[in-house]
Amino acid sequence: MNKNIAEIIDALAAHQDTSSIGVLEELGTNSSDNDVREYTSRALVRKNVHDSLKVVIINQGKGINDLSPAVAMSTINEILSLKDKTEVIKILDDTINLHSDESVKENARSVKSLLALS
Amino acid sequence: MAKIQKIELNLAQKIANPFKTTRKSSTNPFKYNDFEGNTLDLSAFADVFEGSSKPVSKLKMITASVVGTMTKIRSNITEPIVNFVNRVRTGITSAWDYANNTSVSEFLGIDKLSEKIKNINIGKEITDRLALPHINLTEINQTISGKWAGLIEKINHKRISSETPVAELRTMWLDEIELASKKEVA
Repeated sequence: MNKNIAEIIDALAAHQDTSSIGVLEELGTNSSDNDVREYTSRALVRKNVHDSLKVVIINQGKGINDLSPAVAMSTINEILSLKDKTEVIKILDDTINLHSDESVKENARSVKSLLALS
Repeated sequence: MAKIQKIELNLAQKIANPFKTTRKSSTNPFKYNDFEGNTLDLSAFADVFEGSSKPVSKLKMITASVVGTMTKIRSNITEPIVNFVNRVRTGITSAWDYANNTSVSEFLGIDKLSEKIKNINIGKEITDRLALPHINLTEINQTISGKWAGLIEKINHKRISSETPVAELRTMWLDEIELASKKEVA
């Protein structure tokens, strides 16, 4: 992965401006490069705010629902390593209960199970 | 008269003892020979008259051996030294004559060397030499552009931080994507 892109993602991850989440979603999670998608997803998880976690949990083809197992597993690992898991559990519960896509629901259920075991 | 008396005395003595000699006993058997006083110093032959009990000098033995060997070698040389020297001198002279009288083209390998020289394409050599700086310049250009890009990257590197506005970070990201796509196309 390009070093400059990695630094931009880090800068956006640490950014206080909420618009940074939109940039990460737009350019990072939609990237054709698996490494960029993986790095962006982890950055969004590290932000640990409602909007950023929502991107990697409820969207089909992004974060835990990524078609690349490496990206999905890496995102799940990052979620499991969070110190404060309250926000992520809340979003997972909402996804399991309210989401229309069954595969997204299934993934959210699996991650919640892993969180319960960890 | 005195002489006659002396002879008579001698004769009388001889008649009385015919085996008696007037010579005195001496270790030197040549003492009374007529060498006119030029007798050899017998100290050189002292070993001859000495008993075998005395230890033999090793140096003398070696010297005798060497002298004997040299004598033997000299007797085995069938060719006179003068002839041998003449033969060597003739050989050297003939080599010198060969070098003087033979043209350069007749030396071994010279013909192949001249063929090599004939086959060299001077025009091509010059073209190659001219092409070399062109390649080098291109390489230098690439190097300079690479260095310049690196410098720009360093400037950009300083700008990338969480303090940088999101819009600017977005633009930079887009530029990077564009640059990567250009590289892929190239």
